[in-house]
Amino acid sequence: MSTYNMVKQEFIKKWITTLHMLDCSVEHPLNVTERKNAIKLSSDIAMAAARSGSTVWSRALISRSGNKTANKPVARRILKKARNRLKNRCLTLRRNGNFTAKSGVRKRTELLKSLVPGGELIKNKDYLIRETLDYIVYLRAQVDVMRTVAAVDSVTGNLTNDNK
Amino acid sequence: MSNRRSRQSSRASRISDDQMIDLVGKLRQFLPEIRERRRSEKVSASKVLQETCNYIRNLHREVDNLSDRLSQLLDSVDEDSPEAAVIRSLLM
Repeated sequence: MSTYNMVKQEFIKKWITTLHMLDCSVEHPLNVTERKNAIKLSSDIAMAAARSGSTVWSRALISRSGNKTANKPVARRILKKARNRLKNRCLTLRRNGNFTAKSGVRKRTELLKSLVPGGELIKNKDYLIRETLDYIVYLRAQVDVMRTVAAVDSVTGNLTNDNK
Repeated sequence: MSNRRSRQSSRASRISDDQMIDLVGKLRQFLPEIRERRRSEKVSASKVLQETCNYIRNLHREVDNLSDRLSQLLDSVDEDSPEAAVIRSLLM
């Protein structure tokens, strides 16, 4: 199995877990917006949790997601588990980059930092690019899996409509 | 000797040309637009960064749209419908 397929498999496994956990914590039926936020949140947490290792983006994403789950004790439990797993790995974020960038590169580097979770914490440009590459792989896996689920759903929707 | 020491201590903080070329090469694999253009070593860093940012933004937008779609699709799913069964089998 290719590395990318393994990434997708890992994401699927984690997404199932986070969906179940968020689902269990819900007392009342959710409206569409609430459900959308729950799906997106569970998907983001799953993507970060699938990245076992000490990347800045996965830790930042989990910590960012923590702010959105203030009312969901079960979701907090997932985050705590993920955070503990990552906490023990040492990671020095502050290193001084030693390059002189032209304004175009500097501006776009700042933009990239704002797009990658935790990017604003990374001072070393080399490190930022490595994080970006890693983040892109998992982001693509997230999109591919969600796309597949959405496609299955709409196909079966058409089939049942025909039978009615 | 001092050269090696200074090289080791600054390795973490300075990007060598080789590293930059290597990283830009890896980034280009992910960026469909750049992949189609001519394969020259001299790709402007600014352009690569811009394409990368666009790509990430597009992926973010897709995740948002897909979350929307999934929540709407699941809205119209009955407990016992075939859709529910498929989703259940897919996710379990």
